[in-house]
Amino acid sequence: MVLADLGRKINNALRSLSNATIINEEVLQSMLSEICRALLESDVNIRLVKKLRENVRSAIDFDEMASGLNKRKMIQSAVFRELVKLVDPGVKAWQPTKGKPNVIMFVGLQGSGKTTTCTKLAYYYQRKNWKTCLICADTFRAGAFDQLKQNATKARIPFYGSYTEADPVVIASEGVETFKEENFEIIIVDTSGRHKQEDSLFEEMLQVYNAVAPDNVIFVMDASIGQACEGQARAFKEKVDVASVIVTKLDGHAKGGGALSAVAATQSPIIFIGTGEHIDDFEMFKTQPFVRKLLNMGDIEGLIDK
Amino acid sequence: IFSMFRGLVGSKALTKEALQPVLNSMRDHLIGKNVAADIAEKMCDSVANKLEGKMVGTFSTIASTVKQSLNDSLVLILTPKRRVDILRDVLEAQRAGKPYVITFCGVNGVGKSTNLAKICFWLMENGFRVMIAACDTFRAGAVEQLRTHKTRLHTLHPPSMHGGRDGVNLFEKGYGKDAAGIAMQAINAAREQRYDVVLVDTAGRMQDNEPLMRSLAKLITVNSPDLVLFVGEALVGNEAVDQLVKFNQALADYSNAENPRSIDGIVLTKFDTIDDKVGAAISMTYTTGQPIVFVGTGQSYPDLRRLNAKAVVHALLK
Ligand SMILES: Nc1nc2c(ncn2[C@@H]2O[C@H](COP(=O)(O)OP(=O)(O)OP(=O)(O)O)[C@@H](O)[C@H]2O)c(=O)[nH]1
Ligand SMILES: Nc1nc2c(ncn2[C@@H]2O[C@H](COP(=O)(O)OP(=O)(O)OP(=O)(O)O)[C@@H](O)[C@H]2O)c(=O)[nH]1
Ligand SMILES: [Mg+2]
Ligand SMILES: [Mg+2]
Repeated sequence: MVLADLGRKINNALRSLSNATIINEEVLQSMLSEICRALLESDVNIRLVKKLRENVRSAIDFDEMASGLNKRKMIQSAVFRELVKLVDPGVKAWQPTKGKPNVIMFVGLQGSGKTTTCTKLAYYYQRKNWKTCLICADTFRAGAFDQLKQNATKARIPFYGSYTEADPVVIASEGVETFKEENFEIIIVDTSGRHKQEDSLFEEMLQVYNAVAPDNVIFVMDASIGQACEGQARAFKEKVDVASVIVTKLDGHAKGGGALSAVAATQSPIIFIGTGEHIDDFEMFKTQPFVRKLLNMGDIEGLIDK
Repeated sequence: IFSMFRGLVGSKALTKEALQPVLNSMRDHLIGKNVAADIAEKMCDSVANKLEGKMVGTFSTIASTVKQSLNDSLVLILTPKRRVDILRDVLEAQRAGKPYVITFCGVNGVGKSTNLAKICFWLMENGFRVMIAACDTFRAGAVEQLRTHKTRLHTLHPPSMHGGRDGVNLFEKGYGKDAAGIAMQAINAAREQRYDVVLVDTAGRMQDNEPLMRSLAKLITVNSPDLVLFVGEALVGNEAVDQLVKFNQALADYSNAENPRSIDGIVLTKFDTIDDKVGAAISMTYTTGQPIVFVGTGQSYPDLRRLNAKAVVHALLK
């Protein structure tokens, strides 16, 4: 399971608190070092890790704390609080509205899994009886339209795209307009991969955004991403109003900590995770149960809603 | 980052205690530049071992001594122990009357097919004729993606530039077929049609996916390519290590050949997307000892570079 390894390491570190006979600065520091190391090995952004460490440290005042029991509790809850802050931006996930068109735009770095995930999301809604369609506004990547077309055809999802039109803004607006007229409820727009270093690509994203006025912008992240994640995620958020995150490729070995840093940078919740290349390798993500599970606080709601 | 330690010490032997704070901040610095955490740790340990007990002169600080030592180790890691000279090897294969075969492998979406196309362009610019083998028979659009590249490259390099013959061709059998078999047919076709190079594209796969790793090992065992390139993206964090270790392991474990193959070199892609967070270059070379043969620096054909070890180390220590 996602980040399970991280959760185990954090719990081990916390347990070292319970095993210590006296709790002093040294015990606290060594536990914090252990937690920070686990976070860094999972690719959580180093600045976030440092901040977490400082925040926990400053929440603890050894002089004022009375008994050993009280110390333990205070330290543990300070750690929990900071970890929750990492995963949970405290924003409610966007929900589509039945009976009206909901336009969803996918954005993200090259190869992160946008096109694959577009179809997964469309398929997810289609199975729940929403009238769903896909638009390919990637005119850059070789074979992009064929990829979306083959995926959509296999899943029997209506799609829109062009082999000849070179302007993604034109395709996106035409597609959205057409599907709105036909009363589609979930209209998903796939876009090219891009990165913050190339202004023209970011400008193009803004133009597509303005043209289709999406109800939800989803930022797609590869779970294996490292320290570059935060800067990229922040830049996407600054250009278009990213409101949700999907983390892909969690079927691999990656812990997904880098992607968690994207949550902090975009202040957006993770709504789904991708766990394979097939269309139903897709799971809804609920932040609260996830955090509880991560921190071993009991699996109350059940982690995953299939 | 190193400036805060300047001027701490004059001339005396370096102790572990004196080195520790500098090494800690150095480790964090490397992690911040996207070097895998345990590799950053190991590098700092080895610098500590090297420096402990050494005398530092009056005018050098611990920080600058440490930085110099780290600089040297980093350059060493990035300096290839073995040169991969593709152009020379292609010429040699040409003389032997057989095509030179390169297989590309790696996890999903890192840039295998795109950088295969860039390398194809580079080979064509060097006068060679290339057959691309479409052995990703799984991912939607994979074949059409290569077909698009073939068409574009063909336009850029018409037969007039290749003695009246096609400079590039695509060997494809559609989807759902056995990749190893297609690669073999492509290599045979290339031999018959006197292509100089065969570039074998494979499907992306997760390093823990045993059936897919087995089939990659089979493709490589059956076809024994001249060069196996691992494609990894510069964006990858701590996973870089696991990917390389397990790709190598799979090639060894799932091959029934006497001397199983391993990765011969690395293509480091998306180098244009990471600013100065260049640590993946270290994670990958430290793990395998294999050279970074190409660096991908963009999405068009000329965006292919050689690694500049000094520049990478400079960015790392900045
Ligand atoms: N194992 C695994 N592979 C995935 C997952 N999601 C996507 N992929 C694979 O990742 C690769 C890239 O996916 P795409 O959907 O083409 O990525 P993209 O973001 O659209 O790429 P560009 O349009 O080029 O920017 C493909 O091989 C997908 O099959 C996942 O959850 N698990
Ligand atoms: N910025 C940048 N993008 C790159 C680079 N190399 C590849 N890409 C992009 O990364 C995305 C994925 O590239 P592909 O070549 O399809 O990756 P792949 O490894 O073949 O993917 P799968 O076959 O699905 O596993 C595409 O959008 C490419 O244009 C690079 O060096 N820089
Ligand atoms: Mg795409
Ligand atoms: Mg490919």
